[in-house]
Amino acid sequence: MRIGVFVCHCGSNIAGTVDCAKVAEIAKNFPDVVYADDPMYTCAEPGQAAIEAAIHEHKLDGVVVASCSPRMHEATFRRTVERAGLNRYMFEMANIREHVSWIGKEQQANTNKSAELVEIAVAKLRNNRPLAAKTFDVTKKTLIVGGGVAGIQAALDCAEGGIPVILVERESTIGGKMAKLDKTFPTVDCSACILGPKMVDVAQHPGITLYACAEIEEVSGYVGNFSVKIRKRATYIDWEKCTGCGACSEKCPSKKTPDVFNEFTGTTTAINIPFPQAIPKKAVINAQYCRQFTKGKCGVCAKVCPAGAIDYAMQDSFVTEEVGCIIAATGYELMDWTIYQEYGGGRYPDVITSLQYERLLSASGPTGGHIVRPSDGREPQTIVFIQCVGSRDNSIGRPYCSGFCCMYTAKQAILTKDHLPQSRSYVFYMDIRTPGKMYDEFSRRAVEEYGVEYIRGRVSAVYPDGLGRYVVMGADTLLGEPVEIRADMVVLAVGIEAAKNAPALAEKLRISYDKYGFFMESHVKLKPVETNTAGVFLAGVCQGAKDIPASVAQGSAAAAKALALFARDKLENDPQTAQVDARRCVGCGKCIRCCPFGAITETEIRNEKKAQVIETVCQGCGLCTSTCPQGAVQLSHATDNQILAEVNALCR
Amino acid sequence: MPVMKDKELRIVGFLCNWCSYGGADTAGVARAEQPTDLRIIRVPCSGRVDPLFIVKALLSGADGVLVSGCHPRDCHYSSGNFYARRRLEVLKHFLPALGIDNARFEYTWVSASEGQRWQQVVTAFTRRIHTLGAAPGFEDAPLLMKTADMAPAPLRPLGTGKNAPLESLKQAIKEKLPDLACVIGWKQGYDDAHTTPLFAKKPEDVDELVWGPLNAANLAVYLPLFKGKKVGIVVKGCDSRSVVELLQENLVAREDVTIFALPCEGTLDMGRVNEKLGRYNVVGGIAHGATNITITTDGQEHDFSMAEYAQNKCRGCTEPEAVLSDVRMGDSPLVQGEAPVPQELALLDAMNLDERRSFWRTQMERCLRCYACRNACPMCVCRDYCISDSRDPHWMTQEAGVTQKLFFQTIHALHLAGRCTGCGECQRACPVGIPILGLRQHIARTVGELFDNYRAGIDPAAVPPLLGYEVEERNIREREWK
Amino acid sequence: MNYAYYPGCSAKGSSADYEKSTQAVCAVLGMNLVEIPGWNCCGSTPAHAVDTELSAALCSRNLDIAAQQGVEKLLTPCPSCLSNLRHTAKRMENPQFRARVDELLDNPAAPDFPGVTSVMQGMAAHCDANGIASFIRKDLGQLTLAPYYGCLMSRPADIMDFGDPENPTLMECLLAACGAKVLDFPLKTACCGASYGIPERTMTARLSARILRLATDMKADAIVAACPLCQMNLDLRQPQAAKEADAIFAMPVLYFTQIMGLAFGLSPDTLGLEKLRVSASALLDKLEPAPSISKTPVEGGQSCE
Repeated sequence: MRIGVFVCHCGSNIAGTVDCAKVAEIAKNFPDVVYADDPMYTCAEPGQAAIEAAIHEHKLDGVVVASCSPRMHEATFRRTVERAGLNRYMFEMANIREHVSWIGKEQQANTNKSAELVEIAVAKLRNNRPLAAKTFDVTKKTLIVGGGVAGIQAALDCAEGGIPVILVERESTIGGKMAKLDKTFPTVDCSACILGPKMVDVAQHPGITLYACAEIEEVSGYVGNFSVKIRKRATYIDWEKCTGCGACSEKCPSKKTPDVFNEFTGTTTAINIPFPQAIPKKAVINAQYCRQFTKGKCGVCAKVCPAGAIDYAMQDSFVTEEVGCIIAATGYELMDWTIYQEYGGGRYPDVITSLQYERLLSASGPTGGHIVRPSDGREPQTIVFIQCVGSRDNSIGRPYCSGFCCMYTAKQAILTKDHLPQSRSYVFYMDIRTPGKMYDEFSRRAVEEYGVEYIRGRVSAVYPDGLGRYVVMGADTLLGEPVEIRADMVVLAVGIEAAKNAPALAEKLRISYDKYGFFMESHVKLKPVETNTAGVFLAGVCQGAKDIPASVAQGSAAAAKALALFARDKLENDPQTAQVDARRCVGCGKCIRCCPFGAITETEIRNEKKAQVIETVCQGCGLCTSTCPQGAVQLSHATDNQILAEVNALCR
Repeated sequence: MPVMKDKELRIVGFLCNWCSYGGADTAGVARAEQPTDLRIIRVPCSGRVDPLFIVKALLSGADGVLVSGCHPRDCHYSSGNFYARRRLEVLKHFLPALGIDNARFEYTWVSASEGQRWQQVVTAFTRRIHTLGAAPGFEDAPLLMKTADMAPAPLRPLGTGKNAPLESLKQAIKEKLPDLACVIGWKQGYDDAHTTPLFAKKPEDVDELVWGPLNAANLAVYLPLFKGKKVGIVVKGCDSRSVVELLQENLVAREDVTIFALPCEGTLDMGRVNEKLGRYNVVGGIAHGATNITITTDGQEHDFSMAEYAQNKCRGCTEPEAVLSDVRMGDSPLVQGEAPVPQELALLDAMNLDERRSFWRTQMERCLRCYACRNACPMCVCRDYCISDSRDPHWMTQEAGVTQKLFFQTIHALHLAGRCTGCGECQRACPVGIPILGLRQHIARTVGELFDNYRAGIDPAAVPPLLGYEVEERNIREREWK
Repeated sequence: MNYAYYPGCSAKGSSADYEKSTQAVCAVLGMNLVEIPGWNCCGSTPAHAVDTELSAALCSRNLDIAAQQGVEKLLTPCPSCLSNLRHTAKRMENPQFRARVDELLDNPAAPDFPGVTSVMQGMAAHCDANGIASFIRKDLGQLTLAPYYGCLMSRPADIMDFGDPENPTLMECLLAACGAKVLDFPLKTACCGASYGIPERTMTARLSARILRLATDMKADAIVAACPLCQMNLDLRQPQAAKEADAIFAMPVLYFTQIMGLAFGLSPDTLGLEKLRVSASALLDKLEPAPSISKTPVEGGQSCE
C-alpha cells in the first residue's frame, strides 16, 4: 500500500502541545507510509486540496489524517479522498485533538501519544478494503402507532403529502388524551372542538387506513421495507355493520362497567361507544363485564342491534402491512400516584387526579360538566391543587418534570372559578414553569384575575378531618411557615410516564428507551424525531414530556421525515455491515440469536444451513462478529483483523 | 512502539463510537486534563469487543485494558451493551484463572455527554494501573509444577456395568437401525483393554457394541459430522449433556438423532491404567468383576478397582443417567450428595496469581500445540475453521511461545463459556497431560454464579447465558468510579 | 417459645404499664420474653441528638450482649429503642464508623449483630389472626379504635422495615383480630410532638391536639398507641392540648397490648390500666363477654405479617 499521513496543527489547538512536524517525521517510518506532512488546517479548503494533490502526486491508495475527532470531520475527509478517486473507506483518522492536545499539557508525552495514535490508524488502514453502498427499493407507505394528537397530525400530514398511512390505535377511538380534556391552555379552547375536526379528517381521508382496537404484534424488515403484523383485538361487534347508533348501550343491562374513557369517575355499560365524537364511532363490548360472557346469557344487544352487528364469537385477528417507515406516537399514561400514602394512596374518594378532574369539568363527562365531589355529590367550596405529584421527585425515582402540569393546573383553577364563582382554589407548587408562548401571561391571570392562591411548597399530608372535609398540610416556603387548609376536594397534578407497553413496542421496533420507558431520540438536540433505527421516527410524548402544540409540531416533523425519505425512489445503505464467509459458517445461528436488528437470517447453501446478512437491515454494531466463534461473520470496516492490527500496533 | 519509560504504562481502551468515544471527545472539548497513558481504539459498540481482544492485549504486554460503552438501555444498537456486560463480566472473573490480576481490566459506561465522568474514569483507572505497576509477563515467571489431587469418594457406587442390559439395548438399536444412517457406539479396540468408536450401519455391526468402564470417549464429538443425516448414538450421562448442547446450538436436529442410553457406572482413567500396564505384547484377557476389572497382559494379571482407577469426573458425577434420551434401559443409580469442586479447579483455586502464572508458564512450555484438546472437544464445532489457525481472521501467530499457547487455551475456554459440559475430553486427549480442564471448569463456575446456576447441556430449549441478557442483571453490579 | 427481649428504660419507669401489659399478653400468646442480661439505655433522645458515636456505642453494647448470647432476633416494645438499635446496626456496617465506636467500648463489638424487631412484629410472626382470635374472651365489637403508631415506628422506611412508612397496617390487623372496630386513622404516623414537650410546649400541645381532635371527630373510643413517649404525651398532656385547641378532650390513650389484654379477658390491674390519666372506664363498660368462646375463624384468618 501507499499511505499518506497528514498531521494537522489545527492552528494552535493541536500544535500548541504536540510537535506536529515530529509526528509527521515519525510517521514516515511506519509500514507503507510513503508521504507525511503537517498542514496548518487540514479541514480548510487548502488543506483538503493538499490531500487531493498528494493522492495524485504520490499515487496514494490510503490516507490517514491526524486531527480532531472523527465524529467531527470523518465525513469531510471521506469526501475529500473520494474526490481524489479513492474509495471513501480507504481513510482513517487519528484523534490527536480531543484525545491528546486538549487533555494534556506536556509536549513530549503528547507528541509520543499522537505518533502512536497515527501508528494504530496506519495499522488499521493497511487492513481496510474499499466498500460500496447498495441501493434498494422503498415501499412508500407510513405506519403510525398511536392515534393521539401527535399521531393524528403525522397521519394527516403524510396523507396530504400523498403517502398512504396505516394508523394503529390501541383504544376503540382515536383522540388520545386530548380527547379527554375539557379545555386547552392558554386559549381555553374547547378541546373536543379543535381536535374533533382533525379526527373526522382522519376518518374521511382516502389515504388513511385506521385500525382501532389494534396493537403491533411483530415488526420485521428495515427502512423502506418494514413488514408489520397488527393484532386486531376482538370487539365482538362487526364494525362493517355497526352504524354507531348507540341502541345497544341504551339497553345494555350491565351498567356498572368502569368507565375507562371517563378515567373511572363514573360507570358505563358493558357495550358502549366511549364518547359522542369517537372515531371510529363504533361500539365495543367489554367482555369482563358483559353478562353474555360472565354469566353466559343475556344477548340483549344482539336483539336490539338494528344492523345485526353483534358477534359474541369474534376472535382476535391479524393483518400484515408492508410499509416503508414507522412513526411511534404512543403517548403517555399517568404514573401510579397511589404510592403516595401521605395523600391517602387512593383511599380518599375526593382526592382525584387532574385527568379525572378534567372529566368532571367536561360537559360530556359523567357529571355533565358540574364540579361535584365524588364522595357525596356536593359542590366543593375549597379546592386544593397539588402540583408535581410524581414529577421531580427523586425519592420515588422520578426526577423528570412532566412539563405541562403547571399550565393545566392554572387552567383548571381558572375553570373552577368559572364553574363555581364562590369557590376558593389553592395551588401548591414547587416552581412555575411556563416558558411557552402566552403561557406565563396565562398563569399570571389565574393569580391576578381569578384570585387563585398559589403557595410555594410541598404538601406533606392530606387526610380526612372526620367531619367530611380534608386537611391539607403543607409548607409555605416563601413565608417559611407550615400551612393547613381545609379542603372539600384535592386535585393531584399527577406526573406522567411512558405508555405501559412502550418498552415492549420499543423492542419490537428495535429502538432504545430510557429507564422511564420514553423512547430515545437519535440526538437530544439535533435529531429529536429520528431514532437509531433508520426509518423509525418519534412524535409526541412517547419521546418525552411535551404539551399539545409541541406534540403537534413533532407529529408534523415526523411526517416531514417520512416524506423526505419517500422523496427518493431508492435508498442507499451504509456499507459498514457484517459479511458472512459462508465457508467458515457452521450454521449454528448464534449470530441470528444475538442480532439486535434481526438482520441475519438462515439460508441454505448446498443443503447446509448458513447465516446470511440482510445488508439493508444491518446497522453495523458488530455484535455478531464478536459472537461467532469461528470468525465467519466479519463487520466491514471493523473486522477482527482491523482491530487486531490496532491491538498489535499498541502491544508489542 | 515503546511506552514512555518510567512515565507511562501501556493502557488500551476500547470505546464505543456513539457514547463513550463521544464522552471522551466531550472531555477534550471541556479541556478536562487526563493522564496520557491511555490509547483509544474506536469500535462501533461495546458489543463488538470480543473478550479475546482484551486477553490478546493483556498477554501481549498491555498493563491495563478499559472498555467503555453506552449506559445500559442507551445502547445505540439497543442491546449491544447488554451482551457486552455479560461477556465482559465473565472475562473479569476468568482472568485470575490465568494468573492475570483482573484489576487490570475494567469495563464501564460513559455517555457522550459525560465528559467529566470520562475524565474521572480515565484518571482513576490510570492511577489504579500505576499502583499495580507494569504487568508481569509469563515468559519470565519462575517454573512451578503442580498436579491435581485425586477426587474424593464418588457420589454413587462405581461399577463396571457388567449387569447392564446390553443385549436388550442391541436389540433396540437393531429395531431402529433401518431408519438410521448409522449408530455410533463403542467396540473393542486394538486389544481387549481398549475400545474404539463403532459406527454400526448393519445389524451385525451392532453385535460389536460393548459397554463398560473402557468406554471413556465422548462420542458426541462425531455427531456434527453427520449433520443432516439420521443417526443414533449411545451415550453415558456425561455424553448426553454434550448432545443436548449440540441440539441447543442448532448443530444437530432433534429429529435427526436417536439417543440410546444406559446408566453409566463410571469409566476408567485410561492414562493411569496404561501407566500401570506398562509395555506389553499381548492382552491375555479381561475379566469384569462387579467393582473392578482384571486385565491380563503377557500372562500377568492387573487388577483395577473402579474406586481407585475411575476418572476424576466420574467421582463427582451427578448425572450418570442421560439427561435426554429416546431409548433408555437399566436401573437408575442413586446419587447422593452435592458435586464437589472438580480437582483441576481446586488446584487452580489453591494458587495465588503469581503461582498461577508460573504454573501456566510451566504447563504451556510442555504444550506441543497439537490441538488434540480441540479435536476431542465435542463443542469445538468450528473444525477446519478454528480461528487459531486461520489468517483471516488472524488471531494467532505460528510462534511456539508460552503466551501464544496460553492464548489458544483462552480462546478455547472463552468459546466454551456457557457451553462446556465439563466432559473432560480435552484434558483426556492431551498427550502431555496438562490439566487444562481447570480453565473450562473455572468459567463454568462463573457462568453458574452469574446466571442463576446455569449449567450447559441440561435443557435443549434454554437460552445460553452469553447469547442472552437481562436489562437488570441480578448478579452483575456496576462498579463505582472514585 | 422463648424470645430475647430488650425492654428499654422507659419500660422500667414511665411506661411500666406498657411493660406489664406486654408481658401479660405475650404470656397468653405463648411468647416467653427473656431479657438480655445487663442491658443499658439505648441512648435515645439525649445521646443520639448530641453524639452519634456515643449513641451507637450504647446500642452496640446491647447488641453485643445479645450476639454473645447467640440471639438471632431481639424484640423490643419501644419504637425509639428499635430505631436506635436498627440505626446502629446499619451504621456499624461502615468499618470506619465501627472502629470509632469500638474505641468507646471495653471490647470491640461482635462482627454480626442479631436482627431487631418490634414486639408488635414479633407477635404477628408468632401467630396469625386466627391464632389471636382463639384467645379472645371479651367482645370488643362495641369499641371503635384509632390506631396510632407515632412517627418513629415506620420511619425511615429502609431502616425500620415496618411496611409503608406513611400507612403501616400491622396494628390494625392485630386489633381487628381482637374483634374491635378499627378506624382508618389518617394521622396514624403523624408526630405528637412529645420530644419537644419541654422546650416547645405550645408546639407539642398543638401537634397533640391535632391527633386528639381527629380521633374525637372520628368518634374513636380510644387512641391505641405503640410508643411509650406518645402514650405519655397524649394521655398526660391532654389538658394542655385541650387548652391550646380550645376544646375538651376525654380520649383514653391505651397501648395496643392493653387492648389485646382486654380482649383476652385479662384484668385491668394486670394490664396497668390504673396508670392512665384519662380513665378507660367508659371503654371497659363497652366490653361484653365474648358470645361464645368462639373458635370461629376470623375472616381470611391470614397472617398479619
